[in-house]
Amino acid sequence: MTTPFLKIEGIRKEYGPVVAVQDVNLEVERGEFLTFLGPSGSGKSTTLYILAGFDNPTRGDIKLNGKTLLATPSQKRNIGMVFQRYTLFPHLSVGDNIAFPLKVRRLPKHQIDAKVKEMLRLVRLEGFEDRKPAQMSGGQQQRVALARALAYDPPVLLMDEPLSALDKKLREEIQHEIRRIHQQTEVTILYVTHDQEEALRLSDRIAVFSKGVIDQIGTGPELYANPATRFVAQFIGDSDFLPCQMLHSANGRATVSVGGAVFSDVPLHETGKSEGAALMLRPERLSLTREPLQQRLAATVSDITFLGNNVHVATSTLSGDPLSVRLPFGHPAISGLSRGDSVWLGFEAASAHVFN
Amino acid sequence: MPSFVALPEVATVKRREFRSTLPALLFLALFFVVPVIALLLRSVLEPQPGLQNYVELLGSSTYLKVFFNTFMVSAVVTIVSLTIGFPVAWTLAIMPSRWAAIVFAILLLSMWTNLLARTYAWMVLLQRTGLINKMLMGMGLIDKPLALVNNLTGVTIGMTYIMLPFIILPLYGTIRKIDPAILQAAALCGANRWQALTRVLLPLTVPGMAAGALMVFVMSLGYFVTPALLGGTSNMMLAELIAQFVQSLVNWGMGGAAALVLLVVTLALYAVQLRIVGNESEGGR
Ligand SMILES: Nc1ncnc2c1ncn2[C@@H]1O[C@H](COP(=O)(O)OP(=O)(O)OP(=O)(O)O)[C@@H](O)[C@H]1O
Ligand SMILES: [Mg+2]
Repeated sequence: MTTPFLKIEGIRKEYGPVVAVQDVNLEVERGEFLTFLGPSGSGKSTTLYILAGFDNPTRGDIKLNGKTLLATPSQKRNIGMVFQRYTLFPHLSVGDNIAFPLKVRRLPKHQIDAKVKEMLRLVRLEGFEDRKPAQMSGGQQQRVALARALAYDPPVLLMDEPLSALDKKLREEIQHEIRRIHQQTEVTILYVTHDQEEALRLSDRIAVFSKGVIDQIGTGPELYANPATRFVAQFIGDSDFLPCQMLHSANGRATVSVGGAVFSDVPLHETGKSEGAALMLRPERLSLTREPLQQRLAATVSDITFLGNNVHVATSTLSGDPLSVRLPFGHPAISGLSRGDSVWLGFEAASAHVFN
Repeated sequence: MPSFVALPEVATVKRREFRSTLPALLFLALFFVVPVIALLLRSVLEPQPGLQNYVELLGSSTYLKVFFNTFMVSAVVTIVSLTIGFPVAWTLAIMPSRWAAIVFAILLLSMWTNLLARTYAWMVLLQRTGLINKMLMGMGLIDKPLALVNNLTGVTIGMTYIMLPFIILPLYGTIRKIDPAILQAAALCGANRWQALTRVLLPLTVPGMAAGALMVFVMSLGYFVTPALLGGTSNMMLAELIAQFVQSLVNWGMGGAAALVLLVVTLALYAVQLRIVGNESEGGR
């Protein structure tokens, strides 16, 4: 059995009565791009800060190549980090910022100069070395911060919502840069975001955080196709939940009844929570007809929104639960459709999930 | 380099701003500029027209000694205040805010206590049979009392105490404004405590230190009460000299000349400070 590159073992962090991180377990492969995705306050930053050594966990351990990191202070961990806020040293030029970690390591000058050049090329900011951070845009500053964090070849790079202060277009541009840099340097990256699109675009695997624990870890497609919890289903992709009645269950498949219709062979997830059974449906996996058909859910159109390529049809089932459908623009089923019309919605059993 | 080519709208705004500051300017002219001009006039007109007051002031070794004392004491007070003030401001900035509030209350209370009372208190502490000499002798560090008062040592100690808050308060503000994440970044970059202090923290506090230091230095140059009470008769400071000219000798010409030399030095220092700090903030933030 090989030891994992980076292992987080049962981390718990309490701040007085507040439990910031409940119990986080995680194994990361060398060179992997892993994203912590979760809502505000779910413990993503706290976990990252423990890795950085700014905080010690109340319980648990972190191991790099099988050796614990907890006894090593931040400045000796050799870990790189890009922060949410701009943390370039304002009194130093771009070049001196990137050189900073090398100067404190007392590397010879020619080596430092060469590395600074290499890093500026990596983040595509050649010619900017004499600028002060205040003379750079937010996106440029974060690229310099990335260069500074990578200058000392850290085994792990931590990024805590580095793009959240940037506008959407710039964010996408730098996401591309980050992907390219990850491929080029093969550094292991732990990335925090609460933007699912960003997580899906960047990561090899995503760890979905909820209330201080990781609900599920997997690739984007895995999480989308096979969410382990209602929370993950809600967080990755769009979804609606309809209360349903369990008729039968076996081998991870369920037969449920919703609004008079019966659906069998739907993938079943036992969550152990007593919220009652719910059928999860994704808007892009639903089909819509104007005539009543067998095995369909009757609903009334409550709103129609044009979204470029797609048209979003908001409906309300007979029991009053909202259910959305997304169809390509120009789809025959929606021509002439208007608010208040009756529609019938169908889906393939395998695209739905029952959470019980 | 400041730009003098203002856009039209900016110019209009500036003009409007100027108009609204007019009453303040008039007030300053009346209560500040007019007396200074009166003093200037007396210094070149009394006892007869000419620069003889300035020649005498800058030509005599007695008076030059006073200038030297003044700059010396002010410089030492500034340096000692910075040396003590920085760690205090730093501690205040990182301590829990409830504790910091208590320390600030004490600091402000001392600032609001009557200056004379505080200075007399130092006199009692510093005198030959005072607490400090008794303690030092009790510990066996010295065997006869040190002359801590009625000389420039006393003046320096007393003034440092008075000036400390003027260093601590602006420095505290500067340190509080530094994002802790910048220091965390420095740590992850591999900087140990000393490197983080000297390469990141200190450079970032330079504007605060410069502001505090200038204020203390300038205030010290013209300070009267503490030198008058804690100083000796042989080593005078400038404010005492001015008081002597005007009160004892009723020589307004010499008094005015001394005051104006002080004012010119102060303004020159202020200009230097503006240059340094101005450049700093232009490139820095
Ligand atoms: N120093 C602290 N003292 C007290 N509570 C804290 C501290 N740091 C974090 N917490 C609490 O711990 C919880 C998790 O915080 P954390 O910053 O890890 O969340 P996050 O997932 O990064 O959220 P966000 O997306 O908003 O950054 C929050 O409820 C937060 O209020
Ligand atoms: Mg966070």
